[in-house]
Amino acid sequence: MTAALRIFFFGGITSYRALFHWLTPWILIPTFIVEPIFQVLFFAFVGRDAGVGDDSFYLIGNAVQFAAIPCLFAMGNTIGNERYTQTLGLLLASPARRLPLFLGRALPVIINGFCVSLVVLVLGALVLRVHIPAEAWVPIVGVLVVTSFSCTGLGLATAALALRVRETAVLSNIIIGILIVFCGVNVPLSALPAWMSTISYVLPLTHGIEAARDLAGGASWSAVTGLVATEALIGVVYAALGMAMLFALEVESRRHASLELA
Amino acid sequence: MKILRLVAVGWWLQLKNRSRSSFDGLLSILYPLFFATTIFFLYRQNGDEAALVSAAVGASLMGVWSAVSTSASTTLQGERRQGTLELLVAAPTPFSLVILPATVSMATIGLWSFIVTLLWGRFAFGIPISFDQPLVFVIAAVVMTFSLGLVGFLQAMASVRYRAAWALGTLFEFPVWLVCGFLVPLSSLPDWVTPIAYLLPPTWGVSAVRAAAFGGSPWRDIALCLATGAIYAAIGVALSRRLVDSARGNATLALT
Amino acid sequence: MPVIEVDQLARSYRSGSRFSRGARTEVEAVRGISFEVEPGELFGLLGPNGAGKTTTIKMLITLLLPTGGSARVLGYDVVADPREVRRRIGYVFGGDKGLYERLSGYDNLRYFAELYGVPPREQRQRIAELLDLVGLTGKEGQRVEGYSRGMRQRLHIARGLLHKPDVLFLDEPSIGIDPVGARELRETVAALVSTGTTVLLTTHYMFEDDELCDRIAVIAGGAILAEGTPEQLKSRVADGHVVEIEVFDGVDDRIDAVRAIAGVTSVGVESSDRSQLLVVRTAAAAQVTPAVLAALEGRSLGRVATREPTLEDAYVELVRDA
Repeated sequence: MTAALRIFFFGGITSYRALFHWLTPWILIPTFIVEPIFQVLFFAFVGRDAGVGDDSFYLIGNAVQFAAIPCLFAMGNTIGNERYTQTLGLLLASPARRLPLFLGRALPVIINGFCVSLVVLVLGALVLRVHIPAEAWVPIVGVLVVTSFSCTGLGLATAALALRVRETAVLSNIIIGILIVFCGVNVPLSALPAWMSTISYVLPLTHGIEAARDLAGGASWSAVTGLVATEALIGVVYAALGMAMLFALEVESRRHASLELA
Repeated sequence: MKILRLVAVGWWLQLKNRSRSSFDGLLSILYPLFFATTIFFLYRQNGDEAALVSAAVGASLMGVWSAVSTSASTTLQGERRQGTLELLVAAPTPFSLVILPATVSMATIGLWSFIVTLLWGRFAFGIPISFDQPLVFVIAAVVMTFSLGLVGFLQAMASVRYRAAWALGTLFEFPVWLVCGFLVPLSSLPDWVTPIAYLLPPTWGVSAVRAAAFGGSPWRDIALCLATGAIYAAIGVALSRRLVDSARGNATLALT
Repeated sequence: MPVIEVDQLARSYRSGSRFSRGARTEVEAVRGISFEVEPGELFGLLGPNGAGKTTTIKMLITLLLPTGGSARVLGYDVVADPREVRRRIGYVFGGDKGLYERLSGYDNLRYFAELYGVPPREQRQRIAELLDLVGLTGKEGQRVEGYSRGMRQRLHIARGLLHKPDVLFLDEPSIGIDPVGARELRETVAALVSTGTTVLLTTHYMFEDDELCDRIAVIAGGAILAEGTPEQLKSRVADGHVVEIEVFDGVDDRIDAVRAIAGVTSVGVESSDRSQLLVVRTAAAAQVTPAVLAALEGRSLGRVATREPTLEDAYVELVRDA
């Protein structure tokens, strides 16, 4: 059990550090603070120009969405990079328990996405002078945690899928693009064609954004528990899917002696 | 003449190389489509046809900037990883003339994205596109593409010396979309933004393309788009010698 | 006038950044080396990994500024006149990088022909000649991503020769290519030298230098340890002999005992699948051999042989002493 915990924390953190070893304040601040804020401002002003929604709608939609980007990229890249540096084979072949290994990988990523999201929410509310009721902040933080988790679940599934395709970054980008259009980030689900809003209900993010908007609009925690539970469940399903795919891949590569997937 | 040929061949081969990459080529065309789709849905909610058509042009042009700003500062990192950066510097051709065609080729990919997005708007969203002055519209779009390539050139130059500069590329994507009038008119933004917008070639490019599409004289804007772009290029050229020497001094040309 | 003049050339690197933990450290990669290469010569820089070979070459081809000393190529200073130097030299490095993967071999050459100012009218013919020289004719239309290592290396050579350089710098060109490819490469290089091109080659393969080079400088730890023709270098250990003994059941625990024998100058071990080869360098083989055999008492031995020293022996001797 202690070994499992060690791999959970250590394996996760070391690989995350390797992934982000280039992170200096010069990159950190632009990537995780300035750029997201401008995205919020952009859509808020576009919304004003188009005469739809209000600043709060775009602030919350985009802020919650920022939980998704780091989760998806980091998960895809962590596992993709393992393959690139040809350590994936070593990793899969190691006797370490796989579940804690990959969950360990996910944890720092979840925290990262969560922080970005929260920082954007706070700064965006200040810049756009959006009022979020004081009592709503704690439940919103709860929603962010759950949404970060569910997006990491999708990230794990993406990462597993990425082992089958060559271009990890392209795949992650396309999935993020889909989330941005489908999940009600900037376009209310009611404005989407029916088939699109149907899909959006099985994607992470959708329910989280809705719950956060309800909370910011004054709803109580008990009014959004259904949404939050659905968001969490979606995350669990994607994570399980990702784990299953990784496991299948490991078995298959061992059989075909193709651990270093070309 | 020799320089023109060099730029043309460099542009063509870099474009060929880039188009074959799923990240630089395919994604540069696909990704702006996601944003454009969002924007089409946004403006469609009100049922204001004129606003939707205007937004369609702006949203399509966003892809040109997107292609430049995301690739310009990562391209040299790519060359560095590929081991070709040293070879480019070791060639007797001035480094500026090697890099300029490369960044213009990125903008050219953005031009494809512009066309694809317009067609996407036309066929997926039924947004009618008819142009007041079709030929001038094409000229304005090409000039804007070239001029944004010049801005990308300065970005790329900065990344010769500073390996972390690639992160700054994506930093400029949304701010430029916001302040250059792609969708939001300058008059809707705080006054202090206006002088900044005037210094950015996309402001004039977007204005020129709009004028060509919806009526009005685009020529002044076309000229200003080119002129502001030239300023960025001039700064890039002026810096190139110093930045390359600095990279030689600090051993940042190779990846190790 | 020498084609390459290197005078007290030095280069140090600073490592560590402001944001990383730990202090900045200064590493001296090249410590004031001097040598000259005459026209038409094939000069070898021989040394182990990390000896400073690549750093030296990068200073000579103007990619890296020296932190001390000076260097001139064809009379032009590498710091003051980089363009003049770049116009006249070619640079080829080993490994499979440095090519545009998604472009064809032909397009790669066309691009660099343009960058090196090869006149448009001559480009087509020049590229065809070079493809022929490196044996890639017929493959030039394929994308480089489908090339083998050897093909990539040959394409590199063609690229380096596009503008008919007066001096060619080859940095570990045979890294990762198979023995047949490496032999073909040596033949190509020898052919170039016979047409008057001056070549500076770095390698850590001794036989490459022994076979090809007119003169060699052995470099280790950023300093030149010895310089001369392969014969001269070999003669530094020529008064000695080398005793080689094949051992089947492990020799590592006896090395110290062998080293302690009077008259033994150095001991090395080369391992193969089935056995280990104990290489004993000595001034006088006749006296030492019985003592060495005595030290290996009880081991099952194979071949025992005495031979003249090779360039490799001279090299090992030099680098070991450094």
